[in-house]
Amino acid sequence: MFFRVIDKARLPDLVKGLATEYEVIAPIAKGEQFVYAAVTDPADMRLDYDTTLLPPKRFFFPSEETLMRFRVADNEVLDDEVYAAPRVLFGLHPCDINALLLMDNVFSGKYEDPYYLRRREQTLLIGISCTPSETCFCNVWDTNEVHWGFDVFLTDLGDRYFASCRTVKGAEILDRFVENRQVTDQDTTDFQSVVHGFKNSFKRVADTTQLPVLLDAKFDSPIWDEFGDRCLSCGACSMVCPTCYCFDVEDRLEPDQKSGVRVRTWDSCQFKEFAAVAHGQNFRESRASRVKYRYYHKQWGYLSKFERVLCVGCGRCARACPAGITPENVIAALQTGEVR
Amino acid sequence: MTAIQESAQRDIEANPYRPWPARITSITDLTDKEKLFELRLIDEDVREAFQFESGQFVELSIFGVGEAPVSISSAPSKQGFIELCIREAGDVTGAMHRKKCGDVVGLRGPYGRGFPFTEMKGHDVLLVAGGLGIAPLKSLINHIHDDRHEFGKVTILYGAKSPAEVLFRYQFDMWQHRDDFDLILTVDQPDETWTGETGLVTRLFDKIDVDPANTYGAICGPPVMYKYVIEEMRKKDMDVDRIYVSFERRMKCGVGKCGHCGVGHQYTCVDGPVFNYWEAMNLQGAI
Ligand SMILES: Cc1cc2nc3c(=O)[nH]c(=O)nc-3n(C[C@H](O)[C@H](O)[C@H](O)COP(=O)(O)OP(=O)(O)OC[C@H]3O[C@@H](n4cnc5c(N)ncnc54)[C@H](O)[C@@H]3O)c2cc1C
Ligand code: SF4
Ligand code: SF4
Ligand code: FES
Repeated sequence: MFFRVIDKARLPDLVKGLATEYEVIAPIAKGEQFVYAAVTDPADMRLDYDTTLLPPKRFFFPSEETLMRFRVADNEVLDDEVYAAPRVLFGLHPCDINALLLMDNVFSGKYEDPYYLRRREQTLLIGISCTPSETCFCNVWDTNEVHWGFDVFLTDLGDRYFASCRTVKGAEILDRFVENRQVTDQDTTDFQSVVHGFKNSFKRVADTTQLPVLLDAKFDSPIWDEFGDRCLSCGACSMVCPTCYCFDVEDRLEPDQKSGVRVRTWDSCQFKEFAAVAHGQNFRESRASRVKYRYYHKQWGYLSKFERVLCVGCGRCARACPAGITPENVIAALQTGEVR
Repeated sequence: MTAIQESAQRDIEANPYRPWPARITSITDLTDKEKLFELRLIDEDVREAFQFESGQFVELSIFGVGEAPVSISSAPSKQGFIELCIREAGDVTGAMHRKKCGDVVGLRGPYGRGFPFTEMKGHDVLLVAGGLGIAPLKSLINHIHDDRHEFGKVTILYGAKSPAEVLFRYQFDMWQHRDDFDLILTVDQPDETWTGETGLVTRLFDKIDVDPANTYGAICGPPVMYKYVIEEMRKKDMDVDRIYVSFERRMKCGVGKCGHCGVGHQYTCVDGPVFNYWEAMNLQGAI
């Protein structure tokens, strides 16, 4: 990797420079909370944010998107182009970059999803270091560090940023848009002390020992009924999750009924109809079976294919769940048999 | 693959969600609820690139209505056309039933993992179907038929609710008299014309001999059926990894992205729909 140091006071230059060629998306304040939104004035950015309400997945996989326009009469596709404008996502935390890497695995492979991948290609990612919040537990999955998947990663050293450039594009935008200098030994020493401090600042621990085995061995455990009784099937956990990718597809006709659009929307395995098939059969009818499935897939289904769990410990689902169901509670219940 | 096939393959891969126009070339009424459709992909190169195995499925696409996963009923040896046996169950299947010969619909696929045809060669095969489960097995049966000399004894057990619901009856009535296929039909609710067996398909196991060291099983039917048929096969000492089952689950994408078809730790659309029983035993909630 290639490293540079940027004076903190100069960072707005980078944002302004990027804004001349890209749409810049960054965290901004919204009431008490934070959201990702398009920014033109660097002063609006809140790089001190803890976490955002929604993860950045929607810039690659929108909550609703048109896959294609069609004509009914001859069942023809009129347009299936992917329209992806050049963008920069500025200020992503390691968990959210790691989450995109997990999503990449799903949307690539034998069947490449052009919608997601085209946007991914068209988007620069600039990461930034963070301070763990009350609900963060990325340390549990080692997703508090990120080593690739970004163009530039900025580690806050107080008065300056230690910038790691992962891609040619990343190095190029630094050189073009912001004054920067070579890294000195002192910078590297300060970097080390910051990242150690970060690592030691996590308070949350979870016992993840042999989770895939426990999920199978305790598949019929009453803990699932307890969680099921509490769950409202609202799907909030999936919507706010940076690694939940399930979707639904539906056709919408124009008023003249002659043409229309095929649209995909976010879906959730927590919704009752998610696994229902014809003739009244539903493979996950009970709420207990659906709550269980979400964890089963994250901690074992995905792992069985990609050797990582499908969670980055961002804590968003824990914040969003009206029933207080959190990954940490579920993991603890699997270990101890007791539901908190 | 020829250069043209490769370029068609690239077009198909450019967008796996894009359905390709296919013309309905024939429609046969099978029962009150099921029709057999023969389809031909219109683009010649896409048609050439469409190579499938028995047990695989397509996504049938009717723009303005939606998509539905449907097993391919014809054998891979039938080139240029594919057959789909479709039961009217809702929007897409209903819209399909209203189509006329010559109409155009969309297809994408073939998808999923089919039956291990090559591995089955040289062995006896025991096929068990319930109801609409005959649709994917029909492809396998016809494929075996085309390569009949490569297989040992072939036994087909097929159960339907009533005589009126027996699918492909015209063909099976003829096959009752063949000696290279042991075909036994049974219905739950016989009428006065029915001369075949009655009762559940599992009852037919008393009437057959199985050489467990040399037999592959293939099962497809309604979800409740699997457990009982597998029990019968296990009683005959058939190996867990030679019993194959085909699952139906909710599907949207067919290509391992939308998450709807999850079964245990796998996705039915890409890891199945055909699994052997050993794999299925390791899929929580599968059977
Ligand atoms: C691998 C596979 C092979 C199949 N092969 C055949 C076949 O050969 N012949 C045949 O007639 N049917 C087959 N089916 C079943 C067929 O896909 C469903 O009957 C069809 O999707 C229902 O869609 P619809 O639009 O007509 O009904 P809808 O109006 O969408 O819904 C009716 C009911 O079907 C359920 N449903 C909706 N979408 C799906 C879906 N994608 N998959 C399953 N259930 C769904 C809904 O929960 C609803 O209860 C197969 C299914 C799978 C998964
Ligand atoms: S499951 Fe919860 S903690 Fe894990 S990535 Fe998703 S929202 Fe974040
Ligand atoms: S957010 Fe909580 S209540 Fe809502 S579906 Fe998820 S687990 Fe259930
Ligand atoms: S049907 Fe979409 S993942 Fe299997």
